[in-house]
Amino acid sequence: MSIHSPPALACRDVTVRYGDVTALSDVSVAFEPGLIHAVVGQNGAGKTTFARVASGLVQPTNGAVEIAGQVIRTGHVRESRAAGVELVHQSFALPPSFTVAEAMEFGAPGRGRLYSRKGLAEKWRAHLAGLDIQVDFSKRIRDLPVETQQSIEIARALITDARVLILDEPTAVLSPVGIEMLFARVRRLKQRGVTVILILHKIREVLGIADTITVLRGGRRVEGPVLAADISADHLATLIVGDAVKGHKPGDRDALVGNGGAHADVPSGHQRYASLAPALVLSAVSTVPDSEGAPLDKVSLSIRPGEIVGIAGVEGNGQKTLVRAIADLAGLSAGTIALGGEDITRKSLAARRAAGLRIIPFERNIEGLSLTSSLWENWSARELLQGPLLRLVNPARIRALCDGSLKKWGVHYHTSSQRAGSLSGGNAQKVILAREIDDDAKLIIAAQPTRGLDIGATAFVWESLRAARDKGAAILLISSDLDELFDISDRVVVMLSGRVAGAFAAPYDIQSVGAAMTGAGAAATGTQR
Amino acid sequence: MNDVIIAILRSGTPLVYVTLAGVIAQRAGVWNLGLEGLMIIGACATILGIMLTQSYAAAIVIAIAMCVIASVLSWFVIEKLKANPIIAGLGLTGLGIGGTALAVESIFGSQATVTAPFGAPKLGAAFGAYGVLSIFVAAMPFVVFALWLLLKRSRFGLQLSASGEHPFAARGVGIQPVRMRLIALSIGGILCAIGGAELATGSLQFFAQGMTAGRGFMAFAAVIFGAAHPIGATAAALFFAIAGALGIRAQLMFGDKVPHDLLQALPYLATVFGVWLSGKLGGAKTAGSFGELKDQ
Repeated sequence: MSIHSPPALACRDVTVRYGDVTALSDVSVAFEPGLIHAVVGQNGAGKTTFARVASGLVQPTNGAVEIAGQVIRTGHVRESRAAGVELVHQSFALPPSFTVAEAMEFGAPGRGRLYSRKGLAEKWRAHLAGLDIQVDFSKRIRDLPVETQQSIEIARALITDARVLILDEPTAVLSPVGIEMLFARVRRLKQRGVTVILILHKIREVLGIADTITVLRGGRRVEGPVLAADISADHLATLIVGDAVKGHKPGDRDALVGNGGAHADVPSGHQRYASLAPALVLSAVSTVPDSEGAPLDKVSLSIRPGEIVGIAGVEGNGQKTLVRAIADLAGLSAGTIALGGEDITRKSLAARRAAGLRIIPFERNIEGLSLTSSLWENWSARELLQGPLLRLVNPARIRALCDGSLKKWGVHYHTSSQRAGSLSGGNAQKVILAREIDDDAKLIIAAQPTRGLDIGATAFVWESLRAARDKGAAILLISSDLDELFDISDRVVVMLSGRVAGAFAAPYDIQSVGAAMTGAGAAATGTQR
Repeated sequence: MNDVIIAILRSGTPLVYVTLAGVIAQRAGVWNLGLEGLMIIGACATILGIMLTQSYAAAIVIAIAMCVIASVLSWFVIEKLKANPIIAGLGLTGLGIGGTALAVESIFGSQATVTAPFGAPKLGAAFGAYGVLSIFVAAMPFVVFALWLLLKRSRFGLQLSASGEHPFAARGVGIQPVRMRLIALSIGGILCAIGGAELATGSLQFFAQGMTAGRGFMAFAAVIFGAAHPIGATAAALFFAIAGALGIRAQLMFGDKVPHDLLQALPYLATVFGVWLSGKLGGAKTAGSFGELKDQ
């Protein structure tokens, strides 16, 4: 590529404000054609907003976007697509009930004719074959594994012969093997002349694939694009993190930016409690298949007090069902569950909670909090639900208790009667921690507890879980972020298709954990199945 | 036998048209509970149009115009004023029932029914016993087929479904879900006008206050029962019509033994059964979340 050809994509002084929040401020950046560019930064740095401005989904408050030297009208997806920019979203954006062929067709440019199902499959067969994607065209999107969904989404983005392909956090849902396959695909696209912009937040991945690196922090461009060869992992980590985690453990810092390799040994708090009976024992638990996810298949799992057990696995392999089974929200077809030595298989969720079960749920804003209710109502829910239905409550007393607790947990808020929905993600999660982590907690389930949080809040959640562990609680951590799991888990268990596909102890080997996640060579790594 | 089929087609045709309006709205992501209101506006406007212009064609045009205006109004309330679609739909129903009663009273004084000098054009003697049916009955299968092509075999249909099921995905490829819903509700307005016209002038030729008697809600139930599929929902609407016709039959035959109120309730019981069944079979799943237009 000649140095004089215009940039494939350029932004000039782009600012995006949502009300009082400035998501991007004065970002100017130009990407050379034909290369793989990485845009990195922590959650909340403005990466996704940047991608959406470039693709026309978000209208910037001011600033201009140029594609291959042409200034385009901002805020118009059709214009951006016509100019050759396509975006693949973080949480995939294909209607779940569509078949593969329909998913290709619905966003195709030009005017569509009436089609037959067969004709539609014929029409797109060559396109998918050209991208090495083998899939049954009559399958619905919701029935496909996440890797395939992502491939379909990439194929959908390439129907227009895109010259710039932006992938927003494409690795977040993939196993290490899936990431390698994705990167191989990205390199093939580069050979075809496509400029690829990858939005990433893990340094290891960035250095493995990118030609140039651009760093965003707090909505500003702090570096780049610089050639990947010219920047060290350490410097990159400093650029991404800023001052956010001064004073935290060095192992945490590496895990936060995905710069892990060999992890520092986890300080084991569980020795003290090793003689106690297990806090949670699942014996050959199977669940009744339902519409909400892969059923469990003879899952056995035991967690001692003072131990953090991490659950690894590609999303949709039974992690949600595992939580539902422990919370009495999924029907068991076989097996028993014991909490603190007591068989709770037939007990209700309320009884289980009374026995010390605590849950930090997957969906912070749906299951975790009632966004339209006040903070004190959210905070007091756990205790109030334990009491009798007609018990009188004293709001003034609860509010005072709530204030004390929220202050202790460092929640930034104005008044305990403000709505939970008015808090930032990190503060909202702290409210849930304040409710769920108490002295009576025997088993704390932390399901994706740091998803979407910035680095400071993530480190806080980790510290809180460790502190609870050191006080003798058993912790079941479910995460799709292997760096997180490796950093704070005493053991890691891999789930695949509703089964336990492997168990690992620190120090962890990302290769063998990754292999277990995809079912490749579980035997080769010598782990039990 | 012929008279049973004729009875089913007479009561079923208005229901099918209104059901199709519900299907297209549902696929665009709007739980349209305003069908009842639109249908009665269509019925009233047709009769008043005939009285005013003495022309059936002009009356239909007036009815369509009124229903489309009312539909666009509900679109405005939902999309621009951000009202909950279910509440907006119920409001539209209230507007239709109350507004038509008010219109009739203010024009004709305190008359409960308004009779027009003539009704919809009939098929004629060439169709034998079926000649008494209106042209809308004959057109109905073609309209169903056309809508099936539009919704299930065209890119427009895919874009409409995407707008309803996953608005963010639709926006991501440059579709404007808000505009798709305007189109969907406008087409629905046309279909409701025809449904109302068939109800008031297909075999009758008068308008009575509250004459839709819950048919709009039954149509909505057919949409859910039929999982918002144009043919499935049509079948559901016809199933309700058959239940109704059998109810009338049963009244004639066993009226002295079974309380006839119970037999009259048959189509409504069938509706409840149908919705229960669709929930059981998971048919309503495609319909998306409860009246919320989710976007990212």
